[in-house]
Amino acid sequence: MEAGVHIYWNAPTREDNIDDQITIVQRVTARGYQGLVLAPDHAQALITPVRRAMSHGLPVVVVGSPLSIPPGNGLCYVLNDEEVGGRIAAQRVAMILHGRGTVALLGIDPDILGIITRARSVEQFLAENYPDIHILVKQVGTFNRFREQQVAKETLKTNPDLDAIIALTSTSEHAVLSAIGDSQTSHVKVIVFDPEVWIFDDPHIDSLVVEDMEKMGAEAVSQILRKSTGRTMTPLTKFEPVLLTRENYTNEAPELYSMIYAWPAHSRWRWTIDP
Amino acid sequence: MKPSLISSRRALLGSLAVTILTLGTIGLIAHLQSPTRGLPYFDSFATGKAEGWQAFGGTWALVSGVMRNDSDERGAKLLTGSAYWEDYSIEGDVMLLGLDGDAGFIVRSSNEEEGVDAYDGYYVGLRSRDNSIVLGRAGYGWAERSFPMSASQDSMQVLHWYHLKVLVNGCRLIASASITTAAAPTLASFIDDDCIRRGRIGLRSYRSGGAWRSIVVRLATQHDVDQMLARGNIRDAPSTPFPSTDFSDLSNPSLPSSVDLPQPSTPDPGTIPITNLRLYALTKPAKATVRGLVTLTAPAIYVQDSTGGVAVQQAMPKRLKVGDEVEASGDVRHDAFSSILEHAMVRVLWEGTPIPAVSVTPFQASTGAFDATFIEVEGHLRRKAYGLGDSLILDFDAGSQSFRAILNPGRSSYLYRELKLDSLLRVRGIAVADSAYTGNLTPFAVLVRSSDDIDVLAGPPWWSAGHLVIMSIGLLILALSANLLYQRIENWRLHAVVEERERLAYEMHDTLAQSVAGIGFQLEAIRVALPKQLTSVHQQLDLASQFVRHSHAEARRSVDMLRPHQLESEDLLNALSNCADRLVAGSSVKVIASSTGDAHPLTLRIADTLFRIGQEALANAVRHAEPKSLAITLEYEKNLVRLLIDDNGRGFVEQQNQHSLGVLGMRKRAMSISANLEVRSSPGEGTVVIVTAPLPPRATFGSWPAFSWKLLKESARNVKPVGKSYPYTDSR
Repeated sequence: MEAGVHIYWNAPTREDNIDDQITIVQRVTARGYQGLVLAPDHAQALITPVRRAMSHGLPVVVVGSPLSIPPGNGLCYVLNDEEVGGRIAAQRVAMILHGRGTVALLGIDPDILGIITRARSVEQFLAENYPDIHILVKQVGTFNRFREQQVAKETLKTNPDLDAIIALTSTSEHAVLSAIGDSQTSHVKVIVFDPEVWIFDDPHIDSLVVEDMEKMGAEAVSQILRKSTGRTMTPLTKFEPVLLTRENYTNEAPELYSMIYAWPAHSRWRWTIDP
Repeated sequence: MKPSLISSRRALLGSLAVTILTLGTIGLIAHLQSPTRGLPYFDSFATGKAEGWQAFGGTWALVSGVMRNDSDERGAKLLTGSAYWEDYSIEGDVMLLGLDGDAGFIVRSSNEEEGVDAYDGYYVGLRSRDNSIVLGRAGYGWAERSFPMSASQDSMQVLHWYHLKVLVNGCRLIASASITTAAAPTLASFIDDDCIRRGRIGLRSYRSGGAWRSIVVRLATQHDVDQMLARGNIRDAPSTPFPSTDFSDLSNPSLPSSVDLPQPSTPDPGTIPITNLRLYALTKPAKATVRGLVTLTAPAIYVQDSTGGVAVQQAMPKRLKVGDEVEASGDVRHDAFSSILEHAMVRVLWEGTPIPAVSVTPFQASTGAFDATFIEVEGHLRRKAYGLGDSLILDFDAGSQSFRAILNPGRSSYLYRELKLDSLLRVRGIAVADSAYTGNLTPFAVLVRSSDDIDVLAGPPWWSAGHLVIMSIGLLILALSANLLYQRIENWRLHAVVEERERLAYEMHDTLAQSVAGIGFQLEAIRVALPKQLTSVHQQLDLASQFVRHSHAEARRSVDMLRPHQLESEDLLNALSNCADRLVAGSSVKVIASSTGDAHPLTLRIADTLFRIGQEALANAVRHAEPKSLAITLEYEKNLVRLLIDDNGRGFVEQQNQHSLGVLGMRKRAMSISANLEVRSSPGEGTVVIVTAPLPPRATFGSWPAFSWKLLKESARNVKPVGKSYPYTDSR
């Protein structure tokens, strides 16, 4: 809005509903918008709709996780640096385990390339730098909370001595915390990627690896504007995620606070509570 | 009645009609856009009706007077009401069906689509995660504030009824929520400076299923705002008594209970694929355990795995929802195409994602191979009707096959109204071959889960009988209008011609005739002045005077021929009679004029043409036939008029004069009005000229098709001769 841009924002009501996301992409393509910013829910299924959008002359910016289409011809990527995110999480695990212990990787969604890269980066960094930290469990993940909960519960049941769990999605975060609550396990630390809310409301949460969504969104719109003014889109832009801990989040470091999505309501609404 | 009075009256009536139409339209628009239309609103959930509610996502269904959405989608919504509602309150009972989500009301909604936050409006919901009321504004984006429930309230629970009231007035939104009648409600309000002013109401849930009942919408004024704020702890009485925690419905298996929330459990390793049930225990009763996803919960429960589906009859009814992954153990019973698991114990393993439908052709489904399977099939809607319990029954044809779809009551009324016969529809649901559903009329039936499982792929074909009739009527009206316009233009042209003739006549009268008369006087003066001895000069002067008189007479006759006023002041017969009188003035020729039949009013075009032909015939008779008498007769019949000019002069041989210029001119004039001209004569027997002209049919309600057709034929026949060779000039 600040740049005079009208944003039509929409998403399927179910995260794993690829059909609905394709429908929304087709709708945007047909309506004659000046650009499309897409956070794909599936690496393969969105290829054809995106290619069709491109063939209609619609500039497309893929954010978050990539598709297997090379940039160019009106397509560019504004991505979260998953390699860095994986390293950050691995370093944090190494620090809290003092270089020794067992870890589970939950929520590896094979449909999203970014999450695969994220998991691989964690594994690679630990293997190279902390050989005494062992990844005991790697579980495929979905957006199904109850299925994830079942997976987490079985993981904890079969590996009661786990020291840390890295939840690679917000869905697995909910599942892991719920399973820990049910199992009364107290010593497991959880590192969460892409949490739905940035709060440490569970004592088992050690840290959050958060994407800088505001910058990614602004950069995506900026790329669309570049294209519409005849300039070249930058093929690939990466933003590094940030580690939020109880320590640095409560200090309210300005760079972290700026990452909190600027809700219009904060500045505009007047509100009261009664009683 | 004078023409000016008639036209004034017509103009007055026209103005009145336009005014009434305009006022009516304005009134209708004002009514439709009234912010109070349809208020107060009370839902009809208790009677099993949910007309006018429009779903965007979710699995909305009416169960025992409660509107439920079992899906945990992010922002499934169900909307109704007027887009012009402005200041109002909505209240009702709301229940959360799952953890970590919220459910509540949408107010002032517009521009809705399927999707997360895909509407413009406000949302007020109850959220269990942080035990709060959430107030949000959606606009294809989201902004929210959450208000913790007051300390007097217990922590928010799932499967408990809460009373929620939302009031919007101007840019202020107030919400109150309470769980018990005794406890003080939590009150929250905000003012949105740049607020949304109007819109519909809706039900919405986010990441959790929800249930709603007793929805009431009323107009709200500033007084209501003050009252709601002032009351603070006093909750408005609901429209129907609502228990704070209503467990009375637990006897109903389809309603949620607080004890059967899906809890993850370990699957039994002894399960078998569902498709194997068909070969299982064919000869004796046996038990089996299957595992799969719930695909349908009403009117029966169906479970499906990757190999097929099966109907499950629970031994102990418990709440299930579409998408639940369950394990069912029961007695296997077989039908012709399907298996049924009876007396089954069902365990929910976990919530799952509803499986997509298998796309099949009606032929494939008719083989029974997809019985109890969630399918997607297309067909043309041939019939719609209500079945038992107000379920909606849709009958389809698809090539060589037919099938029917059955939809549970609730929002079926909306579909019944919206779906048009002969539309091409795509239906998703459970294929069943059970005769209880098919009525042995179709090879299979599709049990549709919700109205959202029916997509309209194409409306009914345009070339329906009704549309063809409408198009034909439209074309006829268009042709009739074109013809009437053409006739009107022709009349205008004829009037112009007549006026021009009149101008020429006066011009000739004032110039040529006067000059000739003047020459005659001068010649007469010369003749008088000349001595009588100059006989040869006198003879030449007499000859010249004779020429002058002849020329004068010719000029007068031409003036008479050109002047059309006779037809304006007299009828055709009188005009012709007067014309004949003038032609034979001073002679002993007798003129007899008569008419037979009921005289019809003639159009100017026909009357003028007949007059010109009659005038020509009379002139010819007077000039060439030396008659003793002239008879002018007009015969009126039902659809024609006939003019006869009969003289008893010397006559002629017909073949010699048929192609004379005068006859050709008369014939051309006759053709211009589709008339027939006949000249009968023989030497010594006189001559009769007969013109038979058809009259335009009179348009009545019953005769308009024939009338239109005749006009069309006539106009087609008339275009060429009238446009190119209308004999305006005297042909003699």
